[in-house]
Amino acid sequence: MKIVVAVKVVPDDQDIFVSADRTLDYSKAKPKISEYDKNALEAAAQFAAENAGSSVIAISAVPSKNDDTKAKQNILALGVDELFMATDDALETADSYATAQVLKGIVDSKVPDYDVIICGDGSADLYAGQVNIQLAAALGVPTINEVTSMKAEGDKLVVERTLDTEVEEIEVPLPAVVSVSPDIATPRIAGMRDILAAKKKPQTVEAAAAPVDVKVSVEDIKAPELAPRKNQIFEEGDIDAFVAAVAEALK
Amino acid sequence: MDFSFTEDQELMIDSLKEFAAQYFTDEAVKEMYEVHHGVPDEVQDAYRDLGFAFMGLPEEVGGIPATCVDLGILTETLYRATGCMTPFMTGMLAAYDVAEFGSPEQIQLIVDHYEKSGRSFAAMCLSEPGAGSDNMGMTTVTKKQDDGTFILKGQKTWVTNGAAVPYLVVIAKDEDPSRENKNMSLWLIPSDTPGVSTAGLTKLGQQTVPFVDVFFDDVVLTEENRLGEAGQGWLLLMKNFEFERCLVVAQGLGLAEAALDDAIDYALDRIAFGKPIADNPRVQDLITESKRTILYTRMMLYLCLWMLDQGMSCNAEVAMLKSESTKTCLKVADNAIEIFGGLGYTEEVRVGRIWKDLRGNALAGGTCEVMDYIAGRAIVNKYRARKK
Repeated sequence: MKIVVAVKVVPDDQDIFVSADRTLDYSKAKPKISEYDKNALEAAAQFAAENAGSSVIAISAVPSKNDDTKAKQNILALGVDELFMATDDALETADSYATAQVLKGIVDSKVPDYDVIICGDGSADLYAGQVNIQLAAALGVPTINEVTSMKAEGDKLVVERTLDTEVEEIEVPLPAVVSVSPDIATPRIAGMRDILAAKKKPQTVEAAAAPVDVKVSVEDIKAPELAPRKNQIFEEGDIDAFVAAVAEALK
Repeated sequence: MDFSFTEDQELMIDSLKEFAAQYFTDEAVKEMYEVHHGVPDEVQDAYRDLGFAFMGLPEEVGGIPATCVDLGILTETLYRATGCMTPFMTGMLAAYDVAEFGSPEQIQLIVDHYEKSGRSFAAMCLSEPGAGSDNMGMTTVTKKQDDGTFILKGQKTWVTNGAAVPYLVVIAKDEDPSRENKNMSLWLIPSDTPGVSTAGLTKLGQQTVPFVDVFFDDVVLTEENRLGEAGQGWLLLMKNFEFERCLVVAQGLGLAEAALDDAIDYALDRIAFGKPIADNPRVQDLITESKRTILYTRMMLYLCLWMLDQGMSCNAEVAMLKSESTKTCLKVADNAIEIFGGLGYTEEVRVGRIWKDLRGNALAGGTCEVMDYIAGRAIVNKYRARKK
């Protein structure tokens, strides 16, 4: 089985700071694997282990500043056999549609014989959760989201989809795009052998094949104004006054 | 001069932090100190499976190539991220000695052991009740018998992890226990050999790495138990003392960093006189003194490790470093207690535990006074040699 996993590389959100003018300071934020994509990577690695003879190919579409040696080595240390990355600075502000087009370009040229493409629940920066749908539409294959388990049965995939009130079991013909919920698999910790072996695995970084089709533009990003805390303190036993104040604040 | 870490080192640090976050929660660590008096097998197995236990060991034992700098960063990060003492470094050093000096059969024992368990392979039996840094005072001795076997007699003490490992590395005098006899050999002895027994010792801190007395009552050994060349035991051991001292410093540095991390975090949240105590100049003095210690220690530690990687001796440098930093890192933990105030003197926070643990590091691998003696002698000798 040829398993493709889509991975985004984003600035480490722990090190993004709000400047005095409310702009965001990314200067300390190093690129890293988008959080929920780690669950997708683990799901892909486990799925490959369950289906003998499988390979896992990671694909990624990022602005060139996120083409980071450490992040790429990290991807390849988490059960991935090969990485294809397309870079274009327009991807910095690209929406899901444009990103999916770039990913389609990688799939068409590098892994046209894929069986399944696994995406994470959403990216750590935008969290739109749309790339899987856009990518499936572009490739003309079925897609399914919120997947919490998957099993290969012949040329079909049997997946469990966990919703608020029910668990669906669905058969999907392959090839398909699957978006997995974080519950599907706990990301592994990269072991030392994996980290060192990752340097020897094939990786290809190329400029995006076609111009990135940017349909939206970002004019400004500002952190919300911090409202001063009111520091209203309610004494113990004064529960009615407290409830009334909360109710008032919610109006 | 390049002060940056490589990608391999950065990814190692990330993995160590994830390992620590998963297995060393506050509750888990409390249980290790108060209930298990050790690190559970499951955690030691995970450490092995992630490859950390094999770092720096030779390839014959499945080792993963690592520089001394790598191993120092590994140790510092592990101790900072867990905030506790773990048996891994002592275990690595013992395995390192066996892999370096052992026969192919002895080396295979390491491989066989790690296939079964992530626990440390061996413990080092060096100090005696009457002989610590004064190693010529040791009286544990082997005597060759007519049938070619050897009889081992004596007592070792402060043997870290001695009761929890399948093998003991023992240094003993050949034939004659007297001070004048400088011939010593290393022996690799299964812990369950008849005549070997241990007795627990209490410890002020470091309950996760208990030490024991080990008694050898007419233990029968054969030539196969010998580790390395006969009579050369002390010289063999000495080769790795410099590196061992580096790791003791790295442990203390990591623990001091953990204590300071906690203390600054607390100082930012704790409001007194209408503002966070972190903004109080006297508290900032404590923070600055602590941070300075950490930076100085780290730079000097990396220098010593780098020297070892270049094939240079860092005998005097690491002696000065260990003497100084084990005291100043202890002061960092002391400052952390001070910043926490009354809370720091309780068991609700971990800085007091770190303080107790760090006191032991000033003694482990040689006292500060012995370190100063080693450094002083080396410095004077160097100048004296130039005069000639």
